[in-house]
Amino acid sequence: MTTLLTQHPPAGDTAPVNRRTGSGRARERRQRQSAFVYIAIVVCVALFGGPFLWILLTALAAREQLAEGAGGLLRFDNLQWGNFVEAVTRVELGAYFGNSLFLATLTAVLTTASSATVGFAFARIRARGSKPLFTIVLATMMIPHIATLIPTYMMFSRLSLVGTYWPWVLWGLSGSAYMIFLFRQFFAAIPLELEDAAIIDGCGWPRIFVQIFLPLSRPILLTSLLLQFTWAWGDYLTPALLLTQDNTTLSVAVTNAYLDPLGNGIPTLQAAGSILYILPALVIFLFFQRYFISSALSSGVKG
Amino acid sequence: MTTLAAPPARSRHWRRYPASTFYLFAAPWILGFLALTIIPLGWALVISLTNFDGMAPGYRFIGLKNYVELFTDYPQALRSLWQTVLYTAAVVPLSVAGGLGLAILVNRRIRAVGLIRAIFFLPSVVPVVATAIMWRLVLNPDAGMLNGILDLVGLPSSISWLIDPYAFYSLLMVSLWGLGGGMVIILAALQDVPGELNEAAVLDGANGWQTIRHVTIPMISPVLYFQVVTGVIGALQVLVQPMLLAQTSSIATAASVPPSTHLYMVQVYEKFFTNNRFGFGSAMLWVFFVVIMLITLALQRSSRRWVHYQASTNED
Repeated sequence: MTTLLTQHPPAGDTAPVNRRTGSGRARERRQRQSAFVYIAIVVCVALFGGPFLWILLTALAAREQLAEGAGGLLRFDNLQWGNFVEAVTRVELGAYFGNSLFLATLTAVLTTASSATVGFAFARIRARGSKPLFTIVLATMMIPHIATLIPTYMMFSRLSLVGTYWPWVLWGLSGSAYMIFLFRQFFAAIPLELEDAAIIDGCGWPRIFVQIFLPLSRPILLTSLLLQFTWAWGDYLTPALLLTQDNTTLSVAVTNAYLDPLGNGIPTLQAAGSILYILPALVIFLFFQRYFISSALSSGVKG
Repeated sequence: MTTLAAPPARSRHWRRYPASTFYLFAAPWILGFLALTIIPLGWALVISLTNFDGMAPGYRFIGLKNYVELFTDYPQALRSLWQTVLYTAAVVPLSVAGGLGLAILVNRRIRAVGLIRAIFFLPSVVPVVATAIMWRLVLNPDAGMLNGILDLVGLPSSISWLIDPYAFYSLLMVSLWGLGGGMVIILAALQDVPGELNEAAVLDGANGWQTIRHVTIPMISPVLYFQVVTGVIGALQVLVQPMLLAQTSSIATAASVPPSTHLYMVQVYEKFFTNNRFGFGSAMLWVFFVVIMLITLALQRSSRRWVHYQASTNED
């Protein structure tokens, strides 16, 4: 399993042979190459990291500094930590934070539970129709999310479910095709002998699932919980469509709050608010990055 | 690394559970699929044949009128479809190539390589809303980082990045910022390429570029193919980024999205929620749905020519 933050990874060195040739010209070429590599890396770090730095500078700037142009943000004598306080108090950020937390947790727990159950069925039980059904599961990953979201919105508004959290419960209970696929892969690899022993001991299938398969699948359960949580936390369109101003999530609040009387965004507050909004996702990522990577791996190698 | 592992082969083991157990366990997905995918899609198909406006109960069946209007009398739809194709044709090759380039760059022993990889990967975990806000600050014409840098090196520096003709390039930039997600997957594939293959190529006199072209890329072609397919499907349905990058960023104002980033889904959104033409919007959705399916099929066809699967990793 690859981890991003390990200092000395077992990197497959791409040029092991060059190292053996010791002639002066080869060494010179190697030095030129590694200089190129370092320059490329510095440029890329600036490109990918720059926006993070900029949002931080904006969040700590006074509004007048913005008027001075880009250079105004680079004065560090006047850091406005109060922007964060204002970002929290100006709108009820805490309440939206709570909504997001509730919705993301709900989605993560329900989706994980149902995807594990369905994945178990596809991995361990053969029944007429199970193979074509699995093909359909995989095919649904290709259906554009948005193509079903708007008709679903029409449906939910008929059922008076718009403005409630029930749609998330329903989505969660039906599982996610992606996670079903991952769970199926994982369960298929568990040896049959474990089940055999349990069956001889007289275990029924629900107990086998709960007491043998689930405890073995802690890493993938955690992966699923983390991924579903971050997806729900980052989702914008679904809460924007299906929730009201009062019970919506942080992602919607951060875009629509912090407007001046003319309806223009106030950049310093938007920046501070966004940082507070990103932080939970970032912390989860930094602590559990190997789970994100491992799920990326299993999805990327699908034949 | 997981591949489509074949389910346990010894078939007698399968008989231990009755089929009803399978359906009981699979029920959540089956019911959800019927209620939350098939019914909405079917309903959208029915609505697309009516003049439903989202509210009035007395809508009526108008046949294929919406579809006819879409193809003959609605140039914006076709133009937005063209913009979407342009966007996809630009963003997918660039992000796959960029992901491959970055992966090759960080697949070596250098100082702090873990930290560098994390910096490249981080943007792809930042939620879309925060990405949009962040980039609006970077692209701000007056106090933005980009114009600041242009100013520093003495280039024209009062460019309004969020309106045409620059909006399209801004959208591309923002999309490419997240290519680290692909990098991680490609990096993992690179580390699975046996080192001997590269060594053999070097001994045969291949230079760095030739090794990449003739050894590395064919070896990781299934992963690159996966990147292309998911990239295309993702790029075709982009909606939130162009809307939040528009001058007045709010979901209610699809109309302020400049023409060059007025992609197809933005157009659909506008039809539904600004013009209240649910019937017409549904027709647009269904046309789009068919287009995506056709493109996916075409990609799958073409993959036979250039994607090489190792015999051992084939599916069951």
